[in-house]
Amino acid sequence: MPQMIFINLPVTDLDKSKAFYEAVGATNNPAFTDDTAACMVFSDVIHTMLLTHEKWATFTAKTIPDAHQVAQVLLCVSADSRADVDAQVEKATAAGGKADPTPTQDFGGFMYGRSFEDPDGHIWEVMWMDPTAIPAGEPAEAEA
Amino acid sequence: MSDAPKMIFVNLPVADLAKSRRFYEALGFTNEPRFSDDTAAAMMWSETIFVMILSHAKWKGFTDRPIAPSTSSEVSLALALGSREAVDAMAEAAAAAGGTADINPVQDHGFMYGRDILDPDGHVWGPFWMDPAVANGEAPVPETSA
Repeated sequence: MPQMIFINLPVTDLDKSKAFYEAVGATNNPAFTDDTAACMVFSDVIHTMLLTHEKWATFTAKTIPDAHQVAQVLLCVSADSRADVDAQVEKATAAGGKADPTPTQDFGGFMYGRSFEDPDGHIWEVMWMDPTAIPAGEPAEAEA
Repeated sequence: MSDAPKMIFVNLPVADLAKSRRFYEALGFTNEPRFSDDTAAAMMWSETIFVMILSHAKWKGFTDRPIAPSTSSEVSLALALGSREAVDAMAEAAAAAGGTADINPVQDHGFMYGRDILDPDGHVWGPFWMDPAVANGEAPVPETSA
């Protein structure tokens, strides 16, 4: 079985969110979609499950925060180029999302990142990185 | 380069970076030192799935939005594992490493088996196993009783 991750997100309007995620490049998988949840496929590995609040409540007793006001996660996906980053943010904006809820990260020739938020305020970052620019030497070991 | 597989980095704020790093290592993630320092640690699950754990100070550099309290849940993260035993092993490792196992009833639908856990900061993870024939569409999703 391949490595897979399913990002489960609560949404207030399933049809609207489904259309939004299709606009930003995900494909709906009808086998795991009904009127309470929609499986949106970004790649063989990366899936987003959109769940109505009612469905969400069957999985957890925790309350749903207003993601426009607070944040608990920032989801970052890679893009193929700087132009691809801009294109995805533009598609998100055209589909009812909001552009650039977090600062643009522009490190010139090796990394470029922007963000958008979905209709419920969940933040996605889209990042391009030149794979040849990743430093290979001297690791910055984190020992707290 | 356009053939490069899409990668995902799940960024999570954590109160105690060293503790969270040990927690994710216990779950089977590998630290990637090239993207780690004393404010953040990259924890690699696979070549395309990473968790970035960030100190609260570092987190605030990325968003002005306050961190939602752990009594609430903006997201839950489900990882597909290779067997039911792997699901059990991750849940047990989580409980032993400062997290909480089984915050919800164990989901056992025969073709699918999942247990929900919390990391030390209350972020929800749901390791699960699914029959590969169902997962890849060769067999239909069985009806389950609600």
